[in-house]
Amino acid sequence: MIYPKKNILFKWSIHAYVYWLGVRNFKEINFNTVEVDNDKSILLIANHFSAWDTIILSWINRKLLKKKFHVMMLESTAMKEPFLKYAGGFSINKTSKDMVNSLDFAAKLLDDPDNLVLIFPQGKIYSNMISEVVFEKGIMQVIKKAAGKFRLIFAATFIENFENFKPVANTSLKTSVDNSFNTILDLQEAYQQHYTHSRQQQIQIVK
Amino acid sequence: MIPSRRTEFASYLFYRYVRWWMRRKFNVIQPMPFTPKPGHSIFLLINHFSWWDGFFGNYMADTNLGRKFYIMMQHDHFMKHFYFKYIGAFSMKKSSRDMVESLAYTAKLLSNPENMVVVFPQGELCSNHVTHVNVEKGIERIIKQIKGPCQIVYACTLIEYFESLKPSAYIHLYDCGVAGEVPFDTLVENINTFHAQALKDQVNVEH
Repeated sequence: MIYPKKNILFKWSIHAYVYWLGVRNFKEINFNTVEVDNDKSILLIANHFSAWDTIILSWINRKLLKKKFHVMMLESTAMKEPFLKYAGGFSINKTSKDMVNSLDFAAKLLDDPDNLVLIFPQGKIYSNMISEVVFEKGIMQVIKKAAGKFRLIFAATFIENFENFKPVANTSLKTSVDNSFNTILDLQEAYQQHYTHSRQQQIQIVK
Repeated sequence: MIPSRRTEFASYLFYRYVRWWMRRKFNVIQPMPFTPKPGHSIFLLINHFSWWDGFFGNYMADTNLGRKFYIMMQHDHFMKHFYFKYIGAFSMKKSSRDMVESLAYTAKLLSNPENMVVVFPQGELCSNHVTHVNVEKGIERIIKQIKGPCQIVYACTLIEYFESLKPSAYIHLYDCGVAGEVPFDTLVENINTFHAQALKDQVNVEH
């Protein structure tokens, strides 16, 4: 497992790079506001359809949530992009026993109210056109181990151009009121409701 | 209405430029395999979700459809980019007498089997995630006036990012039959069936 590393120089460089990427490549990154508890960490669950997801959500964290950003990513990605560990990235290998350590580590991060952990429960990149999300069950271990210590936020992102040369990213955030999910299907259903609602809002945009 | 003053030289230069430009801006532009009917003009109906759509039409005219490119543009957009008339654009003012003239001009162009006319049936910019394609009545009027064999093709372009920071365009092409042989209601129904099929196929697209 690859753990996040602290290096202030790298951290600032990555922050500057993310900011530059956002400004250079997007006309706007839109998101709604949600309440943030100072005494609770944040578990952010999002749809995974592109390499932009982490960058957009890291941007939103800087602007709105203001927590220490951590993201769970596949070990293959972490090996390919080693600098990501300085931006809060830690790895998970779905095919090894080490997976348990990654999930435990994510739960441990949620003990600290200053932290935010971003997880893509779909487990891999899917099309942005999907109407139904399917979650892998590992996230339940994180939720059960860190129960009561975090605020669960759902994020659904869609990217579109419309009349603009640069695309616009619309992220819809929603705090989950009830965090006591017994099975992965309960969690999936709760997220699905938010995803469907956000997608409907996106569809209704006409220029 | 301002008719097109298409020239082969301007079209060739523009096509080369657009191809270079799109290859720079997109990770992948992938029109799905499609063979047009020989000896038929092509009435290409494209879902309208961004300002790139006309360029996708131009890209396909030379790559896999092999016809002379013409495109119907809204009058205000046309006035902003008047130089497009040299590569096949002509104007259409909605809700005016001028519209009748534009529709008749489109039908005249489609009476020549060497031509291809791109029209956005939705008549406005809609989200790329829409599940229903609204087809405006003007399409029926055009089809009724075409004199000569003309194949109606629906192109559903879907944008994805997947692992890349650059967008990828997947263009799903469907044969909607020959003008005059398909009733308008059936055509609308077919377009929506094809659109739903494209969304379904997109989920399984290789990346």
